[in-house]
Amino acid sequence: MRCTRFALLDACSRLRLLHAARSALLALVAGGLAFAASAQPRDYFYYLGYQMIQVVDGQTDSIVADVPLKGFVREVDLSADHRFLYVAASRHLIHKLDLDTHRIVSTIDLNRDGWEYFMYGFALDPDGRTAWGALISRSAKDGEPVIGAPVVAQFDLADGRILRRVEVPWGVGHLVRVKGGYLWAVGQDLFKIDTNSPEPRVVETHPMFEKGMNILPFWEYPWENGDQMVAAYYTPTAMGMLRIDQTSGEVREELFKGDPAMAYSVILSPDRKTGYAVMDDISVLDMDKRVVTNTVPLVEGTSYGVNISSDGRKLYVGAGGSTLTVYDAKSLRPLKVLHMATDGMDVRRITR
Amino acid sequence: MKRKPIEALNEKARAIERLAEGERQTAQALSIPRMPQGCNTIFDTGWETNPRPTYPIGNCQASARDFHGCVGDCWWPAQAPDGLTNHKDFDAACPNIARDWRKLKYD
Repeated sequence: MRCTRFALLDACSRLRLLHAARSALLALVAGGLAFAASAQPRDYFYYLGYQMIQVVDGQTDSIVADVPLKGFVREVDLSADHRFLYVAASRHLIHKLDLDTHRIVSTIDLNRDGWEYFMYGFALDPDGRTAWGALISRSAKDGEPVIGAPVVAQFDLADGRILRRVEVPWGVGHLVRVKGGYLWAVGQDLFKIDTNSPEPRVVETHPMFEKGMNILPFWEYPWENGDQMVAAYYTPTAMGMLRIDQTSGEVREELFKGDPAMAYSVILSPDRKTGYAVMDDISVLDMDKRVVTNTVPLVEGTSYGVNISSDGRKLYVGAGGSTLTVYDAKSLRPLKVLHMATDGMDVRRITR
Repeated sequence: MKRKPIEALNEKARAIERLAEGERQTAQALSIPRMPQGCNTIFDTGWETNPRPTYPIGNCQASARDFHGCVGDCWWPAQAPDGLTNHKDFDAACPNIARDWRKLKYD
């Protein structure tokens, strides 16, 4: 009996020991997995609003930070080290947003010396200290208005001082940075600007106006779309996609077959084979066959912006009104509607 | 002698004529397209009025979702506050139009 009891106790001890060891192993594995998960790049979506940027965690699809700032947000550009987002607001302010702390760490104002500047198009220079803006300007002299020539100008990110400029035709509304020191200025035509020489100069014009191409170049997602500008354009009869490769500088016009899908913005799937275009609907685009394969009306109404999770499974549609709707990219069913603090202009994804 | 189509009859009108002395007719306004800065590269009103025959027809739905996009630096400034000159901080008072529309007190 004693022996039996002893044997049982021994077995229990062994079981306890095994259980403890298993628990420790599980804890170790869980900890390892948690560490691995935390080390994995994570999607954050930046909702560009009015007097505020809101940050949405792509894992939980919930708002995790409010970033108050001055002005209405328009263009943004990401620093090469992915630590800062430069935010152009009210057409003349540039805020520097620290992506670690989600706080604005500095702001510059382009307005100076009695001149008001309005920036339509913003791109960081690879030097990390300066940026380029497509500027129109106004001042007053002896009580009369003075309108400056439209320019693409390089300015200092430390104080907003304009360093160099080149005159461009009226109507430039967007800038695309291209490797090797070039910019494409998107206006009625495309103007390629060489910034390598002491004085920047327009070295090439890609015609669009004479082809009847009309484009709304406010929304495009260069780093999310694989370092290329992708924007819908329209002729009187059809829709197309304008692409500018930021590495080679190549410009491509891809005309789509069938009825046009009206779109403010277009995001591509990770394999770049599928496009999702939004305005009043989500339209699914076959980028190889150049056809619209599906169209679903947006539940919350007209939206300016669309973005996609880095795994391609979820779409984030919003701005315009004060909602951000998460869609299943495959079924196009809404998964969640986030009610944002303000109306918005766009939603951008930063994975880090 | 060619008769002037309009003659100044009072001192104010003559002052206006003096302001214009030395000016010559010019076709510059027509020859150099100074397109207003707007959403589109071709000033082609109607681009955003979705032409589809079914829902949602016409403009943005609901109109409040496009209000900020129409202020100042884009289309249809006549229907929205002038956000570039007279009401530059309009967005601070009304950041969410569906919620803040009662604060719209602009000419």
